[in-house]
Amino acid sequence: MNAIEVSHLRRVFKTYIGVIRRTAKEVVAVEDISFSIRDGELFGLLGPNGAGKTTTVKMLTTLLIPNSGTATVRGFDVVKDAQEIRKRIGFIFGGERGLYWRLSGIDNLRYFASLYGVDPDVSKKRIAYLLDLVGLNGRGNEKVGGYSRGMMQRLHVARTLLHDPEVLFLDEPTIGLDPVGAREFRQVILDLQSQNKTILLTTHYMFEADALCDRVAVIDRGRIVALDSPSGLKSQVRDMSVVEVELFGLPQDMLDGLRTLPFVDSLSVEDHEQRQILMIQTARGAEAVPDVLSALGGLKIGRVIVREPTLEDAYVRLVGGKA
Amino acid sequence: MNLRTLIKYWHTVLVVTEMTLRMNFMEPFVIFTVLIQPIVIALLGLWMLQGRGAEGAIFVVVGSGLTGLWSSLLFISGNSINIERWIGTLEFLVGLPTPFEVIVFGKNLANVLQSLGAMILGYVIAALFFGYSLTIEQPLLFALSVLFTVLGFVSFGLVIAPIFVMNPGVQGWQNAMEFPVYVLCGFLFPVALLPGWTTPISYLLPPYWAAVALHGTSTGGATFEQTLLAWGMLVLFSILDLLIASRLFTLMLYKARADATLGLE
Repeated sequence: MNAIEVSHLRRVFKTYIGVIRRTAKEVVAVEDISFSIRDGELFGLLGPNGAGKTTTVKMLTTLLIPNSGTATVRGFDVVKDAQEIRKRIGFIFGGERGLYWRLSGIDNLRYFASLYGVDPDVSKKRIAYLLDLVGLNGRGNEKVGGYSRGMMQRLHVARTLLHDPEVLFLDEPTIGLDPVGAREFRQVILDLQSQNKTILLTTHYMFEADALCDRVAVIDRGRIVALDSPSGLKSQVRDMSVVEVELFGLPQDMLDGLRTLPFVDSLSVEDHEQRQILMIQTARGAEAVPDVLSALGGLKIGRVIVREPTLEDAYVRLVGGKA
Repeated sequence: MNLRTLIKYWHTVLVVTEMTLRMNFMEPFVIFTVLIQPIVIALLGLWMLQGRGAEGAIFVVVGSGLTGLWSSLLFISGNSINIERWIGTLEFLVGLPTPFEVIVFGKNLANVLQSLGAMILGYVIAALFFGYSLTIEQPLLFALSVLFTVLGFVSFGLVIAPIFVMNPGVQGWQNAMEFPVYVLCGFLFPVALLPGWTTPISYLLPPYWAAVALHGTSTGGATFEQTLLAWGMLVLFSILDLLIASRLFTLMLYKARADATLGLE
């Protein structure tokens, strides 16, 4: 049985421009999305900002009504059977909001346990177990306002597991966490999967999706542009190599010029304060290096390497080098 | 809805009430609205009516408590849903299996209960600073009146909160709604002193009937029939408010899910 079925989901937002002459403008957040997630699967949703990931999650968690299309979670319709779905799911949206900062961690959990309908006798044991699971043992009596961002994220995980949900929606759960915290968090996700939970994870971090997900859907401008296992997605760029060039300042017109070169399949730039890493996907491999360097003539260049493509490169190619 | 579900919801209401009370007492605005402002009103009233004896004093004590109840209902219960949106918890609350109305009921109960504290404080001030030996003339009827008042105010709060969420324009009039109700409902002086045409307006306001019941039973100035009528009106308004609130919550939640207004982003 599939835990989640999504068919031709569409969601449009209306925004208004102007004060005196207010004109409505429609923004299509999700254009047409269809996918299904198997029971116990860890499914990733990848995409650039504004691609429609969070909107999709909000529709599946019954917080938004789709304009058209259908979606079911554990066989229940997200519009008609919202209450049934809410009993069976847990969800996290990345960030610090959504907790009561003036209450302690334990009181937050006690509060939400009651709202999830967990029996008071059961909730006491469950809260102790979950604090241990997320590594907040011994910190539960402190006020949440004094927690670090990572601790708040862990508390969110504990909150969402209070009623032992069958399906979990984790929307960018590691955003803003330090590397150690993020690594520990990923372990928690794997532990949850080993408990046969169905998990939908959205993330910006390709290595995270690569390490965790059974399958990944790449979403761009409200549509799914690829859906496969991480290795399947990587195989789509197996014929490619990536030329990485370290630069110290890259003018926009030069970047635009690079995009037009015939051997450039796609490119992306990573900013690291004063330096940039230019990544060019090309089928020519090392042979493309002289042409790339020639196109960058006059710029200060650091290291240059040619490497095998990763999931991130597959993603960049799929979303048209916008990352 | 079966008995088991009802008991479960009641337990939830109690937990929500407890947590709301704990959070409210760390919020300066709440402390001002439900304690300091009514106490200032009580002090002024007691000072102005010094020559009127204990009956005048108990009227002021109960009346100042009622001002705290109304201000709490208007500003704290009225904003109870919006506050959840501002702190980012609204989406999590709506996405829960517990009906959202049950949660807001618990929050309103906390707001109303904490306002009763102002009445007790007013009583203490009247005794300690003004030397009154105050007695509640009909203690049992007064206790029942408090119970019906709590029910009436909590239910009224359930109507106001979704209206404020769906109509920010109405919420803009919040400040303007505070003092007229003090006057129209006879919190601090009898409505008989007002022009006759205002009386029908008073009858339409549940806090008026709470004032009739509480003032009448505390001063002993009301007959049992008058108190009974006030209780009946409070129950009637409560039932009406709960029915209206149920419809408003359904509408508000559907609208919020359709218009994407649960979060702030």
